[in-house]
Amino acid sequence: MRVVRLMASNENTERKLSKKDIHRMGLLSIGMQGGFSFERMQAPGFTMSMLPTFQKLYGDSEKDLSEFMTYNMQFMNTEMHMGAFLMGLIISMEERREDRNLIAGIRNGLFGPFAGLGDAIFWFTLLPISAAICCSLAQEGSVLGPLLYMGIWFVAAISRMWFAELGYTVGQKFVENIGESTKYLTEAAGILGMMVVGGLIPSYVSLAFSDTLVFGIGGTTVQSVFDGILPNMLPLGFVFLTYWLFRKDANVLVVILGIIVFGILMALLGWM
Amino acid sequence: MEITLLQGLLILLVAFICAMDQTFEAFYWFRPMVVGFLTGLALGDVTLGVKCGAVTELSYLGLLTVGGTVPPDPLMAGIMTVVLAHTTGQSPEAAVGLSLPFALLAQWVGIGFNTGYVVIAHKCDEYAAKADAKGLFNLVWFAVIFKAAVVALVAFLCSFALQGPIQSFVNTFPTWLVHGFEIAGGLLPAVGLGMLLMVMLKKENLAYLFLGFVMATFLALPNVLPVAITAAALAYINYAHEKKIDEAKVSIEAANEGGEIDGI
Repeated sequence: MRVVRLMASNENTERKLSKKDIHRMGLLSIGMQGGFSFERMQAPGFTMSMLPTFQKLYGDSEKDLSEFMTYNMQFMNTEMHMGAFLMGLIISMEERREDRNLIAGIRNGLFGPFAGLGDAIFWFTLLPISAAICCSLAQEGSVLGPLLYMGIWFVAAISRMWFAELGYTVGQKFVENIGESTKYLTEAAGILGMMVVGGLIPSYVSLAFSDTLVFGIGGTTVQSVFDGILPNMLPLGFVFLTYWLFRKDANVLVVILGIIVFGILMALLGWM
Repeated sequence: MEITLLQGLLILLVAFICAMDQTFEAFYWFRPMVVGFLTGLALGDVTLGVKCGAVTELSYLGLLTVGGTVPPDPLMAGIMTVVLAHTTGQSPEAAVGLSLPFALLAQWVGIGFNTGYVVIAHKCDEYAAKADAKGLFNLVWFAVIFKAAVVALVAFLCSFALQGPIQSFVNTFPTWLVHGFEIAGGLLPAVGLGMLLMVMLKKENLAYLFLGFVMATFLALPNVLPVAITAAALAYINYAHEKKIDEAKVSIEAANEGGEIDGI
């Protein structure tokens, strides 16, 4: 069943990636935040980092390249090392010619939780510890402080190679068993993705009225009324508003300009 | 002590390299610890640079990038703390405070880029539609270099030419405009999430979005990991259910077929 599917779906199955390819992708993922914007965050750099490796798999097949670039240009924000891991995972599944809906679902379901994991390791553990040690050396003016700091983070920087390799290996092991359960996995990835997106809204989208905006004189604040109904209801509502606008074929750039005008207006009025 | 043109240009170079790394978040050269050291090298006073770097690093340790927010810029704080300690003779501790306006200015530059680079993402969408890998690749790297160049130029102007004017500019800058961009910055991720929903949202999955939202809102979670684990558990329950139903279907079909054969 599986063999038939592979042969039917693509003639380039003999193309394989070497460990070196994966390591190179991990190093290239250093550029993962290139073109960072509030709207799509790391999507451009995330896509860029995988392109040379993907092209090694699929050559110049325009259809595949376009599909790959399109689903990877969706919103992305994760911790950088976990990003390299995720790239390894994605590429291993692309190599096995898995259904791209499944790959995109896994991508969108995992980046958020992985961000939490990676931040816990690098931002909240390695950074404070390395800074504390090196600052105590540097406070007396010793060059050893910054040099040690640079050394620690050099290893952390190139460790992206190994994170990518780990993701690739995990992907291979995991993908081996997919076979006919693709349908179930796609559903599971959909559930994971939706729930994580719901969980990301309160921390990623902020929309709240200023504490100084009150009803009448000395009345309750406007924001406390909303919070009394459901905290974070404004960010949630706003995400659905943009979704609804896109369903109505609204132009994205118009929506973005609208948001900027709205922000400046609210700041001028002092409402937010 | 005055900053010479050569020193100013060396600072420009330091700022350019460190600003690229700030985008990368890779080698941590954008942290005050390293920036201070390198600026000290540029000014020929390594000890001062290292001391200032340490003090600034500790001051900015609490200001971590979380979600889409942009704190006062640690890179510019690192450079300007050394520059101000060098030019005014103040202690590193005092210089950190004096460097704040410049760190704020760099923060605004950062917010400007994070808003303006929305254009880059949309250009990348076009490249994706055309399957133009080279175009996307080059554009992303252009974005990295252009941003670093602007930051380097700002650092050069702050340290060499326009220290005084920039300080007064920052003090008189209309804060409502900055705040307006902050508000917009808080809302723009909704566009990215909205586009994600365009692809992912299916009627039968909508309930899970609300589950995740309610968990994150009411449980004061440190990150989204607990939500993901719950989601995985629910997905497994769903899978077990579906599988049973599908198996039941298969056996019913088999039974039906069997019945027909029996009937003949």
